[in-house]
Amino acid sequence: MKAPKSFEEGMERLNDILTRMQSEETSLADSVKLYAEAASLMEYCHTVLEKTSLKMEEIDAKLAQTMQAAEEEN
Amino acid sequence: MAEVISVSELNRYVKRLFDTNDLLFDLALRGEIANFVQNARSGHCYFSLRDEESSVKAVMFRSDARRLAFRPEEGMRVVVRCRATLYERDGAFQVYVNEMFPDGIGAAQLALEQLKAKLNAEGLFDTAHKKLLPRYPECIGIVTSKTGAALQDIRNVIRRRMPSVRLLLCPVTVQGFEAAEQVAAAIRTLDASGKVDEIIVARGGGSREDLWVFNAEVIARAAFACQTPLISAIGHEIDYTILDFVADQRAPTPSAAAELAVPDRAELLRTLQDLQQNICKNMQKRLDLCYNGLEQYNYALEQGLPHRTLQRSEAQLQAVRQAICTQMTSRKTLCTQQLHHAAALAASLNPYQVLARGYAMIRTPDDRICTVGQLYPGETIRLRDALHCAECRVETVEEINESTQEL
Repeated sequence: MKAPKSFEEGMERLNDILTRMQSEETSLADSVKLYAEAASLMEYCHTVLEKTSLKMEEIDAKLAQTMQAAEEEN
Repeated sequence: MAEVISVSELNRYVKRLFDTNDLLFDLALRGEIANFVQNARSGHCYFSLRDEESSVKAVMFRSDARRLAFRPEEGMRVVVRCRATLYERDGAFQVYVNEMFPDGIGAAQLALEQLKAKLNAEGLFDTAHKKLLPRYPECIGIVTSKTGAALQDIRNVIRRRMPSVRLLLCPVTVQGFEAAEQVAAAIRTLDASGKVDEIIVARGGGSREDLWVFNAEVIARAAFACQTPLISAIGHEIDYTILDFVADQRAPTPSAAAELAVPDRAELLRTLQDLQQNICKNMQKRLDLCYNGLEQYNYALEQGLPHRTLQRSEAQLQAVRQAICTQMTSRKTLCTQQLHHAAALAASLNPYQVLARGYAMIRTPDDRICTVGQLYPGETIRLRDALHCAECRVETVEEINESTQEL
């Protein structure tokens, strides 16, 4: 399985997997494969979100510093 | 015949007569201006004052003319405070003007209204021509007196609100009839310099006459031609000049002009903070949405679907297992039954069982079971029933006649 390029692609693939798993025609072996793929996709998406969240915190901190400096200067 | 005197002596004598007269030393004189000229080099003004019948020469020195609030025009009715005396060199009787006022504000007001109507008709006051002030100016051109309170007021306000803004002063005199040309030139200079984002033309409070300069047509035209947004701030709240109508924005005072000219840094900072908070919240919301979206798959996959497939498969397996079990059981039962039958049959066919009922078996010495017909007389045989064995000698072998058989 190729790693997705973005969170959105990961979500899209997850959605696709969900649809395929809902189908009665999917064999048990296939559904296990899909399940494994879903797990790694989910891990990927979650990691992306965690990284984003962390990045946001960094930016927030930097921004807070800037604003504080501007206020003190005022 | 009196003694002969020189022209100089005469003029000096007459001048002394004039100068000792209190009335002539300081008088108010009403008249109409004629032949007004200003000496470009000295700055002194020369003109005549006249009424219907007479006229008198008049001089206004530069030091006095500087304070003039309006430009004396041909035919303008004025009242002057002056000293009447003789100009000795020419023997010319003339008045030396210290102050000049328009005679009755009526005439000047009329001229003003006429000018206003003319400029309005030309479209100089049209709102369509009004330019928007820049939101974040970096440099502001100021046309005002270098020493006036107006400049100080503007500097104070801008230092408080937006200290980063630079001011470019084009100093002018704001009173005297030269002021008009200077102000107009200053506007043109600042505009042409390309260095300023907006221009403030300011003058602190003063009498109506003091502010009259800013009604000058030359200023109005310069302001109209000015490409840079222009704010007028002449006098106080109640004072309106023609410049106010032409300017892109009119401020009631110089301080107010400065407030119009620059944004408030503190307010900008607050806006920036609000903006930052909004962006922050927005970003957080986006992230939350993403988390929720992912959680939905997570839930569906972890709690639901694969397990459902597995459960379905398990159920199927269970069903098949049960079916097979049932099959097996019933097959076994069937076989057992068949076995029982066969056993019963076998049991019923057991020769020893027959012996139990009183029959006996014949065996040859070589232990074969044989029929009576196979025996020879003299032969030794063994008889056997269920429980006992007997060794016997065959005496005879006879065929049994069916009809003679004893029953």
